[in-house]
Amino acid sequence: MADVRADLQALVTDLIAGHAGEWDRRGEIPVEVIRKAGAAGVLCAQVGTAHGGPGLSSVDNGELTAYTGGLCSSFRSLMTSQGMAAWTISRLGDAGQQREWLSRLTGGELAAVAFSEPNAGSDLSAMDTLIELDGDRVTVTGAKRWVTGAAYADVVLVFGRYGAGAAAILVPTTAPGVTVTRVPDPLGCRAAGHADVRLDAVRLPAASLLRGAGQPLSLLVTTALTYGRISVAWGCAGIMRACLAASAAHATTRQQFGVALADHQLIARHLAEQYVAEQSATRLCAHASAAWDANSPELVTAAVVAKHRAAGDATRVAASAVQVLASAGAQDGHVVARAHRDAKLMEVIEGTNEICQLLLAEHVLATTGGAR
Amino acid sequence: MTTSTGDRTTEAVQRELMGFLSEHTRTTWAPDTDLFAQGGVSSLFAMQLLVHIESTYGISITGDDLNLDNFRTVQRMTALVERLRGEGSDG
Ligand SMILES: Cc1cc2nc3c(=O)[nH]c(=O)nc-3n(C[C@H](O)[C@H](O)[C@H](O)COP(=O)(O)OP(=O)(O)OC[C@H]3O[C@@H](n4cnc5c(N)ncnc54)[C@H](O)[C@@H]3O)c2cc1C
Repeated sequence: MADVRADLQALVTDLIAGHAGEWDRRGEIPVEVIRKAGAAGVLCAQVGTAHGGPGLSSVDNGELTAYTGGLCSSFRSLMTSQGMAAWTISRLGDAGQQREWLSRLTGGELAAVAFSEPNAGSDLSAMDTLIELDGDRVTVTGAKRWVTGAAYADVVLVFGRYGAGAAAILVPTTAPGVTVTRVPDPLGCRAAGHADVRLDAVRLPAASLLRGAGQPLSLLVTTALTYGRISVAWGCAGIMRACLAASAAHATTRQQFGVALADHQLIARHLAEQYVAEQSATRLCAHASAAWDANSPELVTAAVVAKHRAAGDATRVAASAVQVLASAGAQDGHVVARAHRDAKLMEVIEGTNEICQLLLAEHVLATTGGAR
Repeated sequence: MTTSTGDRTTEAVQRELMGFLSEHTRTTWAPDTDLFAQGGVSSLFAMQLLVHIESTYGISITGDDLNLDNFRTVQRMTALVERLRGEGSDG
């Protein structure tokens, strides 16, 4: 597997290195570049070879994700979304749906995943999007917000209410009734193609509805987000690696008061603390991915722990890197400037800091609390 | 290689599942208690339980079977395990 990963990593280098700053300033990645990565399976690299994917383990995909995240968080966000879509299809789809969609998602088609709505952010139980079965057709009506990658996507995996429970449905962005509107000027991950998606009585064949329909929303969402959380966590480890490299390079070349910045202990401390944060986040990510690969139940909480810790650490490390570079990093497009904006948003997505804290506290109380 | 799981009786599956539940919820569950009606399990727990059952019994639960009703009680989970193991050995 390491060879497959090395090949994919070389392709990522080829496609992204040197472009991320410009994409950040323009707020756009050329769609051909994304499709090329998609057709090589980079965007959902855990899809198995039987469905045309590279079949990486979570550990290997994690390292690929961190590597990509170190170059460009916008691009890495697209990996997170496409990977989450593919994983949800393999979990909730029947054999036919898996065969069709997984090969499309490893063949150059692009996917986004839509949970959030105007009234349903942290509280997804307030979701209003309605999915209704009507003979051999399904109708979807609702409004989704801030959908990463929707501006590039061929298909959006939409979560909505379905009967007494919930369901996920694959909605082509070209279907009549679908309107995709870009979120203007996002704070970070500026080239990730965030968009609002309106669904006006979109009628689709019943086969678009993933078979695991009608279950409680929380189970569906936890399923999808567990992949997303591990992916975001690795992406944050990558942000920290990029910040550390930029900080170390700058601190050894820039001189003030007659010595290199690194010779000032207050700057050396920045480097040490950035390193500790990167190392500890990487270990938590590796632990969550190993649990994923072993199909251990611990993966569910390990994913939240890794995401929560890595997002917070990436935010602190990026701020520290901007401090070390000072004016040299204080321009849009610069690796540490991007990191500073991108990392902050990692504390918002796939469960905000607060939602992660609530989930983890609930877990602690359920497993180690006394009688209540 | 034969796995010991293939020989487990219904009762052994029930016992194992009750062990997993009590370890992870600090509560003892009867085979017919509705786990989700009691509010005794965390929102991450349903997925942990699913992954546990898959890895312990070597089955994969996807599509239609991924229905919370199949996980509501130890009895229903046991029935699901036995059905999916049966399908596995047919094929
Ligand atoms: C860059 C980016 C990419 C995104 N990509 C996607 C995507 O691909 N698909 C998608 O569906 N959505 C996406 N989103 C939306 C994202 O999931 C939501 O922004 C997130 O869930 C938070 O919801 P909200 O913004 O409505 O904040 P709110 O839910 O309004 O929360 C505001 C604040 O209140 C806190 N809060 C809320 N409830 C509680 C509580 N019970 N206790 C304590 N504090 C609480 C929150 O933690 C937060 O700090 C994206 C957002 C961003 C910024």
